[in-house]
Amino acid sequence: MYSFTKPKKKPIFKEDTKLWLIFIGVSLILYIGFAMFLEIKVLLYKKDINKFNNQIANLNKELITISKEKEFIFTQKALYENIMVKNELMKNSIKNLLDLIPDPITLNSIYFDKNRLIIYGITPTKEIYNMLMLPPLESIFTQTKTYFYQMPNGWYKFKSENYLKDSQ
Amino acid sequence: MKLNIKIPKIPKITIYGIDVIKNFLFFTLFIIITLLAIAVLISPAVSSYKKAKKEYLKTKYELDTITLSYKEKLKELNKLKSKNQKVLNDFKKDFNYKNFKLFSSKYMYITSIKEINKTTFDKNFLKTTYILKADIKSPKNFYNLVDALKNYKNVIRIYFPINFIKNKEDINLTLKIEHYKLKDAQNALLKAH
Repeated sequence: MYSFTKPKKKPIFKEDTKLWLIFIGVSLILYIGFAMFLEIKVLLYKKDINKFNNQIANLNKELITISKEKEFIFTQKALYENIMVKNELMKNSIKNLLDLIPDPITLNSIYFDKNRLIIYGITPTKEIYNMLMLPPLESIFTQTKTYFYQMPNGWYKFKSENYLKDSQ
Repeated sequence: MKLNIKIPKIPKITIYGIDVIKNFLFFTLFIIITLLAIAVLISPAVSSYKKAKKEYLKTKYELDTITLSYKEKLKELNKLKSKNQKVLNDFKKDFNYKNFKLFSSKYMYITSIKEINKTTFDKNFLKTTYILKADIKSPKNFYNLVDALKNYKNVIRIYFPINFIKNKEDINLTLKIEHYKLKDAQNALLKAH
């Protein structure tokens, strides 16, 4: 049999079917692409969150260190001030005790200890000592003992021992 | 045996050569694929994205707050350090006999300083006790020395027993001094930087 037209290859899909398949395929790729994009963003966020958490942990450690360092500075400051105050108090207590010594009495030696004061000196008479020096010593110390030794010129050498019961 | 099943034939409706039924079926397929993609792919992805973003923002806010707090605390610490620079430096320095003698020469003549004891004080400090012997002109020199210790480069405490003995024109003074320093000054120095 003879035909006037040449045979054409019959396509598997018609034009409109091809269009639909391409459209559906591209849409599917776009959906998958969008979902992947979101998942990648999630992964990046998670990576950042981990990084932030590490930074937070480090900063918390740093904050603890700072807090300890501050505390230690306050400890040093408190100790320093305490020492300076104690020096000042000790200076004032010695000054006050030495100011108590009346003019007629001469001191040879004075020994300050934590709870004890020992004074060696010379007094013209026992009465002067007992009137001018003993009362203030008795008002400060809980126990006071005085020993007199007469000198050839009639004056007295004395040793005064004064004790505090508690440390002050 | 031959099965005699009749498959209903879909009628072919065309408008201007377009197959309406086929296109309608493709459109339905597209809608189904889209809905399935939303349900299976996009919706869980959006949900986890939202969750991750929320957590990200929360963590970032927390980080920003802690960073701000850290900067403030660091600023406070540096301010505290600079305010107490003298105290901090004084605790790091070793006691130098010659330097102390020179410093005290304004007030007294030191004849001897002897170390008698070294102990740990309050875990972090080292307390060294010395016996100091000196000659002074009057007790006022002693008071002035105590006052001047506030400006000295070491932390020194004057301690009992203190003995004043009159010797002709001078007074022989014997007293205990305690020098306080950081037990591990090197570590404290590193810690400070």
